[in-house]
Amino acid sequence: MTELEAARYSMAFSLGFHIIFAAIGMTMPFFMSIAHYKFLKTKNSQYLDLTKMWMKGVAVLFAVGAVSGTVLSFELGLLWPGFMKYAGPIIGMPFSWEGTAFFLEAVAIGLFLYGWDRMHPWVHWGAGLVVGLSGFASGIFVVAANSWMNTPQGFEIVDGVIKSVDPIKAMFNPAWLHQSMHMQVAALQAVGFGVAGIHAYFLLKRRKVEINKKAFMIAMFIAAGSSLLQPLIGHFAAQRVAVLQPAKLAAFEGHYKTSTRAPLYIAGIPNDEKEIMEYGIPIPGALSFLAFNDIDAEVIGLDQFPKDERPPTAVVHISFQIMVMIGSFLALIGTMFFYFFFIKKTVPTVFYKIAVLCSPLGFIAIEAGWITTEVGRQPWIIYEFMKVSEALTPVAGMQYHFFLFLFLYLGLGLLTFKLLKRMVNHYV
Amino acid sequence: MYEISVLILLFFIAASIVLYVVLGGADYGAGIIELLPIGNSEIRKKQREIVNRAMGPVWEANHMWLVIIVVIFFMGFPVVFQNIMVSLHIPMVAVLIGIVARGSVFTFRHYEVELTPAREKNYTITFGLSSLWTSFWLGVSAASLFRGLISNQSLDFYSLYVAPWWGLFPISLGLFITSIFSFLASIFLVGETDEVAMKKYFVNRAWKTNLFVIGTGALVFLAASFEGYELVNRFFKNPMAIIAFLFANLSFFLLWFKLKKRKAFYTRLIAAAQVSFILVGWFAIHWPNALKIDGIYVSFFNSAAPQPVLNQLIIALLVGSCFIFPSLYFLIKTFKMKVKES
Repeated sequence: MTELEAARYSMAFSLGFHIIFAAIGMTMPFFMSIAHYKFLKTKNSQYLDLTKMWMKGVAVLFAVGAVSGTVLSFELGLLWPGFMKYAGPIIGMPFSWEGTAFFLEAVAIGLFLYGWDRMHPWVHWGAGLVVGLSGFASGIFVVAANSWMNTPQGFEIVDGVIKSVDPIKAMFNPAWLHQSMHMQVAALQAVGFGVAGIHAYFLLKRRKVEINKKAFMIAMFIAAGSSLLQPLIGHFAAQRVAVLQPAKLAAFEGHYKTSTRAPLYIAGIPNDEKEIMEYGIPIPGALSFLAFNDIDAEVIGLDQFPKDERPPTAVVHISFQIMVMIGSFLALIGTMFFYFFFIKKTVPTVFYKIAVLCSPLGFIAIEAGWITTEVGRQPWIIYEFMKVSEALTPVAGMQYHFFLFLFLYLGLGLLTFKLLKRMVNHYV
Repeated sequence: MYEISVLILLFFIAASIVLYVVLGGADYGAGIIELLPIGNSEIRKKQREIVNRAMGPVWEANHMWLVIIVVIFFMGFPVVFQNIMVSLHIPMVAVLIGIVARGSVFTFRHYEVELTPAREKNYTITFGLSSLWTSFWLGVSAASLFRGLISNQSLDFYSLYVAPWWGLFPISLGLFITSIFSFLASIFLVGETDEVAMKKYFVNRAWKTNLFVIGTGALVFLAASFEGYELVNRFFKNPMAIIAFLFANLSFFLLWFKLKKRKAFYTRLIAAAQVSFILVGWFAIHWPNALKIDGIYVSFFNSAAPQPVLNQLIIALLVGSCFIFPSLYFLIKTFKMKVKES
């Protein structure tokens, strides 16, 4: 493992760990707020039990998300000081708003967790809602900072020195909207299916049927709704990438040769040496159509980029395919749910079994999507401005950094998982 | 205009550091004093409950100040941020490991559903050790900024990444910070219980940790002069630092007078003021510098980001303050001013 690889794996692992807790921390409070709202309106104590049950999960997961997020704010500088020296002032704005939102979230969660009986019930409910809103906002800000790395703007470089920085232009870069919509809806999807699956499992076991049914319905509604929305957003996002980062799009699709009526490959393994797709099923013209709404449109291939400026195609293509397959599958499951719920007016047992199986899929898709966008930007840390290798810290021994955080997070992940399992067995 | 912008940012940095040290410090200290093998199991159990109740609602907010400090530095003072993150990589990583461990373990202990004695012990020890560890490394990092051993020109690993923070002075400042945090926590916790025995217990903790503060404080000065670090010199040439030092010391008498009467609010205020004075002294001695690289001081004024960046940062901080301070006030009002009623 070279220094650069070790630093990249450290960053990838820290982000991959944090993103799960961040996704939960910024969406799960809404689930809690809906249950809480229902309790305040109906006075049905089952909704109160449900609110408190979810609240405890949120408390634990938020804490892990908060500490791993703090690590990331340091790691940007610890691993990539060359990047932060340039980028800090330019993308500091979304980070400073993120800091504010995160702060509000931390205050609101304190108020909500410990504030039962200490304030007016609706003020208390509002505190819970603020946890969700500020968490959701902080997610958007962080993704806006990341999107700047994909489509940098709002600065000029004169003789290697950054001049005339425009932080607002940098924050509202061309990629911020589709990336943040895609991420936030993905978080709702993943957490929706995750929570619905857990409650479906206990429903099938006939435990606390009434509460689990209510919990399942709230979670599944969010999961199904966001899953129907996501393919549209994903399509919009891919069309933007086709224009903004053609090399990334080409890597998504394993598209080596620039061509009109470009084919879309289902599955397949890209071979970077021979520059062909192996074992894929081509659909002629489908890529041109999906990217530019025209089956004859020209799609730029990887051949337009020097070899040392291409992302590793296989990793990007495979993770992209995993994400798209899961996204399509979950959209199907979402449609099934609405069909059962609105038309058949009853949800059959087999659907609960499917829901249990779908439980981890959204999180797998988030990880796959994150790998797609990050590896798809390689070798750039700031697209077409700075390479990842130029940003690397001069500190030697990044391998130690990697293994240290690997073991720390594996340990923490295991502890968190075991605690949550005990909590779920106890409360649900 | 540029200088005023930098001054405004320095105000925010100073305020955030003071708030982090006072509020976050009490939080770290709570972990440290839980670690001390004092008192019978009954008292220790009560102490855990008090710490859970007192810190539970506020610990996450207390640690946000650190994130704010980091953001101000990397947006407003990128060169300073970059140098700290490179030269102090090792102590920074140590701090992060501690932050991860203590934050999660504290929450786990609170929400654990099968709190067996063994599990509780593991949680408590991890919480305590990581609190001690983190505060120590925070002190070590702070000590390294002006020691003059941060170097961009050295060639070997040791002088680039170890020497800046390795030595008597950083170690003694690390010990000093852990003592201050434990002291702050003891003072804070006196007001968090209505039980006379527990109040007495925390007053006793405050006395003892106070002795540590004085001892390690003296050690800091000794170590500095032993290392040839011009802290003492600079200190006695700086009227602001001397005034701050005098205030910090004089207020001890006031503190113990109020503590004897167990006036929780005033003792907290005085303890917070003392720690603020120490920090003011520290800022004053090094004003207007951010750190020292290869023997040359780097001033905040010539290492700040371009004007448009500073403007945006100031706007963000001002707007952020309009949200953060009222909500923090509400948090404190809800949990810290109603203690007696519950």
